[in-house]
Amino acid sequence: MDLWIIIVLIIGLLFFTLLIVLLLIYNGLVRLKNNIEKSWANIDVLLKQRSDELPNLIASVKGYMQHERTTLEALTKARTDVLKAPTLSKKAASDMLITESLKTIFAVAENYPTLKANENFLKLQNRITALENELADRREFYNDSVNIYNIRIQSIPDLIVARMMKCTDEPLFKASEEDKAVVHVSMRK
Amino acid sequence: MLLQNGLIVGLFMFLIGIALFAVGLYFYKKKQLIADTPTSKIRSIAMGLVEIFGQVTPIKERFFKSPFTDKECVYYQFTIEEYRSSGTNSHWVTIKKGEQRGLFYLKDDTGMVLIDPTGAKIEARRDFEYQSGLGKDPPDQVIRFLTANNLAHEGFFGLNKTMRYRETIIVPDETLYIMGTAGENPLKIEATENHVDSIMIQKGKYEKQYYISDKSEKQILKNLAILTYGIWGFGIGLIIVGAILFFGLM
Repeated sequence: MDLWIIIVLIIGLLFFTLLIVLLLIYNGLVRLKNNIEKSWANIDVLLKQRSDELPNLIASVKGYMQHERTTLEALTKARTDVLKAPTLSKKAASDMLITESLKTIFAVAENYPTLKANENFLKLQNRITALENELADRREFYNDSVNIYNIRIQSIPDLIVARMMKCTDEPLFKASEEDKAVVHVSMRK
Repeated sequence: MLLQNGLIVGLFMFLIGIALFAVGLYFYKKKQLIADTPTSKIRSIAMGLVEIFGQVTPIKERFFKSPFTDKECVYYQFTIEEYRSSGTNSHWVTIKKGEQRGLFYLKDDTGMVLIDPTGAKIEARRDFEYQSGLGKDPPDQVIRFLTANNLAHEGFFGLNKTMRYRETIIVPDETLYIMGTAGENPLKIEATENHVDSIMIQKGKYEKQYYISDKSEKQILKNLAILTYGIWGFGIGLIIVGAILFFGLM
């Protein structure tokens, strides 16, 4: 057989292998992007569930916590902000504010025996604490998904396909220093 | 004739090489799926494909005893083989094999979830292997199992046959890696009795991956990488040699 047929054949095989590799990378990046969207949707569901519980909690503690008006106001504002925040960092900051406010409320509740004995309050406390725990896990899961994606699109050979797909780094669910400062101001008012 | 044989061998090698490449692709996709899926905490499992890690907790009255080691377990798989010879040809023949899978919980530091291992590919290291033969009786538990199943370990004149017994089990408190689909738990009674969530890990309708292993994720990925690249290397080698042989003789 002519040598050129072997050369053409080897080049053909190399192209075929390259095409398969590119397809695998492309599909992998699509899956990772979908993973991020799915894990975000899973956080969002819990954020909404927690937001739905907050007005009931505020209503049940308002009568007892006159001295914690700032905390309750900050909580009310953060509840609205967390669902409407324009950026992920601002959303994370509002989420952080809610978590901090809830910690304060539950800690202060220890000083009010009648509130602590209130069955409705206890139910809400348990429900919200469970949601908070799940949210913490899902935040971690989301950040893991983002981390895997960001590493992949910066690594060779995925980088080449990622550039063709115009993939950019996804943000972590984390409040920036600037947004964290706003949270601290809200808590201290 | 020689030329024709060479062409057939070349074509055969080429096709086997292509098939091996496809098999390697399957393992590569599995490896990437495991690497790309972050591990979920059990209390916050979301519906869909999940990867979890935790300890086996048996459900009351749902575990059983393994056939050869007589241990309480949630899964066992066994094989009994006999060494047979005829002329110069000798080989192991499987005379009985079986497995049992039961529902169990997987527990991590945040909670526990019900696992239905039906349809899962289970990979666990072998826990028991014993070879009986001339002057070497099988252990008592194995003899009891053989008797109960009408199998004999002795041949002519009461001499022991050369037999091999293998068993793989998953026992309580064993740490497992599971990649499967989190879906509705159809066994509501189990969930209510044990105060666990109404989610169950099972084989998905659309997600075909359902994998249970007693190895760590790192070890699984390492094994899959060796397997994938090994198969690909061999496959590509066969494709090249087969193609050169085929087209060279044409």
